[in-house]
Amino acid sequence: MPLNTSASVISFAKQLEADSAGFYEKMAERYPKAAELFLTFSKENNNYTMMIQRAYYGVITDAIEGCFAFSVETDKYTFEREPAKELGHTNALNQAIDMEQKLISFYTDAAEQSKAFMADVPRTFLIVAKKRKDREDKLRMLLKET
Amino acid sequence: MAILEEPIKGIVEVKNYIDGEWVESEGEIQDVVNPVNGEVIARVPISTKEEIDTAVEAAKVAFPDWRRTPPVARGRCLFRLKELLEANFEELSRVQTQEHGKTIDESRGETRRGIENVEVACGIPTLMQGYNSEDIVSGIDEYLIPTPLGVFGIIGPFNFPFMIPLWSAPYAVATGNCIVIKPSSEVPLSQMKIAELVDEAGFPPGVWNVVNGGRTVVNGMLDHPDIEGITFVGSTPTAKDVIYPRCGATGKRVIAQGGASNFMVIMPDCNLKATIPAMMTSFFGNAGQRCLAGQNAIIVGDDDRFYNEFINGVVDTAKKIIIGNGLDEEVQMGPVRDTEKKTKILSYISNGIEEGAKIRLDGRGDFKIKGDYPDTCFLGPTIMENVKPEMKIVTEEIFGPTMGIIRVKTLDEAIKICDDNPFHNADAIFTSSGRTAREFKYRVKSGNVGINVGIVAPMAFFPFSGMRDSFFGILHTQGKEAIRFFTESKVVIERWP
Repeated sequence: MPLNTSASVISFAKQLEADSAGFYEKMAERYPKAAELFLTFSKENNNYTMMIQRAYYGVITDAIEGCFAFSVETDKYTFEREPAKELGHTNALNQAIDMEQKLISFYTDAAEQSKAFMADVPRTFLIVAKKRKDREDKLRMLLKET
Repeated sequence: MAILEEPIKGIVEVKNYIDGEWVESEGEIQDVVNPVNGEVIARVPISTKEEIDTAVEAAKVAFPDWRRTPPVARGRCLFRLKELLEANFEELSRVQTQEHGKTIDESRGETRRGIENVEVACGIPTLMQGYNSEDIVSGIDEYLIPTPLGVFGIIGPFNFPFMIPLWSAPYAVATGNCIVIKPSSEVPLSQMKIAELVDEAGFPPGVWNVVNGGRTVVNGMLDHPDIEGITFVGSTPTAKDVIYPRCGATGKRVIAQGGASNFMVIMPDCNLKATIPAMMTSFFGNAGQRCLAGQNAIIVGDDDRFYNEFINGVVDTAKKIIIGNGLDEEVQMGPVRDTEKKTKILSYISNGIEEGAKIRLDGRGDFKIKGDYPDTCFLGPTIMENVKPEMKIVTEEIFGPTMGIIRVKTLDEAIKICDDNPFHNADAIFTSSGRTAREFKYRVKSGNVGINVGIVAPMAFFPFSGMRDSFFGILHTQGKEAIRFFTESKVVIERWP
């Protein structure tokens, strides 16, 4: 599904963050050894949502291309909302890494599309993308330790 | 993606807010209709002369105490109002979409712009400072004190029901004046919601009043001897032939902002990737119903390849615009406000065709509405080529989602077309050349000038400018000019022998 308006992209980002938070909560339940890390990720997602909302509500004005700033194909960035039941810990971590990569790709693409129009929103998207890259590295470390 | 919840459920009975009370009007009642689906969402009174007189009297009575209230304390009322507006940001935005039809992004943008004016007015203790000279002659000092005047009337238009009255209201009350706002009777809910928050913020009774209605209220304001000044935003005929002369005749200060027919000048060296979305917002944003909207694009140069690339780009993008209910976050363009406005826009398109314009994209019927809504107030984007500067679709304000295309050979010709037009609200140039941009900025006689910006909307701390048939008055709304407008310069010369 293509999204062009800022409102729809912000809502989509919020949905991705909520889905990703839910995913890590399930991971925490299923793999108690790394529960603390997964729950931290989940909490961070709430902060990201707040950062994105703040940027959007702070910068949206009638003078910018709010309804024409994006061209996001949502299908590219959707992921499973919880780790597949039959997967072992390693594969679940790989699923998490795959999810992070999709999210990084979403934030990077959306930032690139809107950089001429939305000012603080693409900047915030890039901050979130960078934080998610750090998260991906942590997940890879965990994968190595497993 | 789901459609956002409507904040207005059922039918709201709109009342006047006078002297800190919600008062029922004796006047006739008019329906407020959601243009998306034709549903009645409110009933608004068309208030009587006696009711506007009562509101002015309440404001007049409140003035002496409010004037004596220190600017820091008046500022605190505005700080509280700002906090309440932020807390209710989403509801206020959705109300605008419901009563006007604009998209939720546009409504949120309007809410933000309105709040920014309250934020600026919160700085009143410094904004309102005067200045002084010691020893103009030995032992004699002279100083200037900006002083409030009394009661002001604020008359709002239909296209920005939340924001436009806030171009004036926060500055008027911050400087110690009292106000009576008359919202557009087509979209009264936003100002009703603001008044509810004003009440909660603790403004004293009589400082901020809202009287709904039509001509009777406007005439009541214009003729009232206790109203010191009027700010008005609306059509040029009303601004020029009614508000401005009547204020002159009754000795009132006036800011009368009228209509527009704005030009977007497209140079062949512009960044097309950024220019095309800017065109969409400029021409089709708010369904073209704003005085800063582009009405005609002037393509400069002989380069047919560039011309075709530009036209194909705007037509292809405009074709894909998602039209529907503004509360659907995917929608990029809502309906126009009502059928009367739609009919007027259609007649301009027909007139353009009769005068020789060629339809490239026909918004009269060649569009789809997302969702199951009647097409009563909907129009698609219309793009017309072969437009000439003398056509009515250039010399008059259309106020709808239309784009006329004019071709010229040089920048000089483009600037001449801008300057020969009776309106001078906002013109913009799209180019990658700083030199060309400077030339345009320097020479064009326009109140608001854009460089690679399609909606030249001044921030709250700059005046909202305009010239010739787009503006009648001297000082403008917003920022420091509004502070000047709402105060008299009292000069004191002091000696203590």
